[in-house]
Amino acid sequence: MIARTTLRRMARGREAGTLLGLVLLCVALWIATPFFATTENLANVAEQSAIVGVIAIGMTCVILTGGIDLSVGSLVALSGIVIGVSLQRGIPLVISVTLGLLAGVAAGTLNGIMITLGKLPPFIATLGMMSVARGAALMLSDGRPISDFPAGLRMIATGVIAGIPAPVLLMLALYAFTWFMLTRTVPGRYFYAIGGNEEATALSGIDVRFWKTAVYAISGLSAGLCSVLLVARLNSAQPVAGIGYELDAIAAVVIGGTSLLGGTGSVIGTLIGALIMSVLRNGLNLLGVSSYLQQVAIGAVIIIAVLIDMALRRRVQRSPR
Amino acid sequence: MRALSLIQRFGAFALVLAISACNRSTTAGAKPTVALVVKTLNNQFFIDMEAGAKAAADSLGIELLVQAPEREIDVERQMQIVENLIQRKVSVLLLVPNGSREIVPAVVKANAARIPVVAVDTRIDAAALTAAGGVVASFIGSDNEDGGRMAGAFLVERLAGTGKIAVLEGVPGHETADARLRGFRTALGRAPGMQIVASQPANMERDQAFNVTQNMLQANPGITALFACNDVMALGAIEAIAAAGKAKAISVVGFDAQDDARKAIAEQRMSATIAQNPREMGRIAVITAHRLMQGQAVASEQPVAISLVK
Repeated sequence: MIARTTLRRMARGREAGTLLGLVLLCVALWIATPFFATTENLANVAEQSAIVGVIAIGMTCVILTGGIDLSVGSLVALSGIVIGVSLQRGIPLVISVTLGLLAGVAAGTLNGIMITLGKLPPFIATLGMMSVARGAALMLSDGRPISDFPAGLRMIATGVIAGIPAPVLLMLALYAFTWFMLTRTVPGRYFYAIGGNEEATALSGIDVRFWKTAVYAISGLSAGLCSVLLVARLNSAQPVAGIGYELDAIAAVVIGGTSLLGGTGSVIGTLIGALIMSVLRNGLNLLGVSSYLQQVAIGAVIIIAVLIDMALRRRVQRSPR
Repeated sequence: MRALSLIQRFGAFALVLAISACNRSTTAGAKPTVALVVKTLNNQFFIDMEAGAKAAADSLGIELLVQAPEREIDVERQMQIVENLIQRKVSVLLLVPNGSREIVPAVVKANAARIPVVAVDTRIDAAALTAAGGVVASFIGSDNEDGGRMAGAFLVERLAGTGKIAVLEGVPGHETADARLRGFRTALGRAPGMQIVASQPANMERDQAFNVTQNMLQANPGITALFACNDVMALGAIEAIAAAGKAKAISVVGFDAQDDARKAIAEQRMSATIAQNPREMGRIAVITAHRLMQGQAVASEQPVAISLVK
């Protein structure tokens, strides 16, 4: 019990540390360039963080259970293409979007079944799905992007409510919901428990298979939601969309302090992690840093974040139980 | 314990401060700033374009920011870069769009911020742009369709009007490759003996071109010529053709005149390629930006010469 409270406090401390990192980064950019700290630019950055931000929600849940989901980038493409193809066939917007989300959920559920019933390592199962879903998106679309979506869908990207861009509101609502689910509901606590000690969780009578499958379905759903944002933003569904998003999402989760070994971390940390990545990219663009150096800087930040994570974990292990 | 973690975190952001400090000296000047956003900077074509643009910017006293997403297919990241450069309040935006339709919302945002947009190398979809209420000040680029026609006419002449042709298409829906294909088909349409027996996308990639070509050779053993919408794919194709032992029987024509392709032509492994001039595109783009900043008129279409290399 004492160990658990310590762990929780650590997680909270880590969030504070990540937040401090974000603040420091913003201060650095505020000093370095007059273009950063404007209302317009901050709204711009928040909007840009929504794409990876939303996909990272599902990734956080998966990683909390000790898993990984490499298929999310391909699922973004698949969901988008399903929406596009449905609309082309004259299916109403709301139903098309629902079908797109369901495609994500179905593929995610299949991931979960391969992992729980098929006993495949998550890395392998989702790596396979990454290729299957990409291929399916290419087949459905004949390899071509689908353009010109109804204005109703475009509103998701272009709408502004009370001065805040709609994608930002959607992202924040999803984070608030997930935070509540993870910290205040039984399934959420199961996810932490499975990541902390899967065997013990199973022995205490929890249906680990069901909840692990559910977590990959959630990840598929968040990829689907991300795809809706992306399609609305580009006014186009692309079979090659989302390549590399899985790595951006994992980076946001890891920078946010969630352990890749599972059991510890938080979705609020992930939100801050996603914001750090967007702010960093935005700042490097504003400063006119070379595209090559930008990749180095982003990679360095990810490595440093994980170094800190590992240093903290070693201390937790050393502390008396 | 927490204090230590804070120190570690400071380390991460000291890095950012250091990077920004390095750049501050160059961005702080009062020089007008022009941004060139290309498709990616891991393709020699765009590195040449950057070199041409930089040389022109230096001689005109313009500060040039060159940015690109990591992947040529990453439309969304390019959109982010454009949005960020709008916030940077650059004077002119020179843009090589990754997606001719997808980039339209970003162009409209630049228009709203009163930043003139110049399309370079790849056109921005005119219908989508008009529908969204956006404008482009000028287009600078090769006439890709004309290049495709040149490639087609070359093959018609070489094969004396009869042959079975295989085509490697680019990324489906990408305007440049589509235009090359249109031109190529137009040229072949004038020669009834020339028949396209296979036409498949290989996404401008060498390894995909290798595999697709192998499959096409299996399905159509009588192929006598192959046209690839870029040299990268043509180079993949000649490997597959050589592996099938048909190097002598099949004429390969590419597009872009990359160094590797010129070398392959010199060694008679490839028949021809179409040379574009990215350096010249970069140069004209910066000069156009300069004119726009001074309130001078610019032509809405500025073609850059292309030529057949054989």
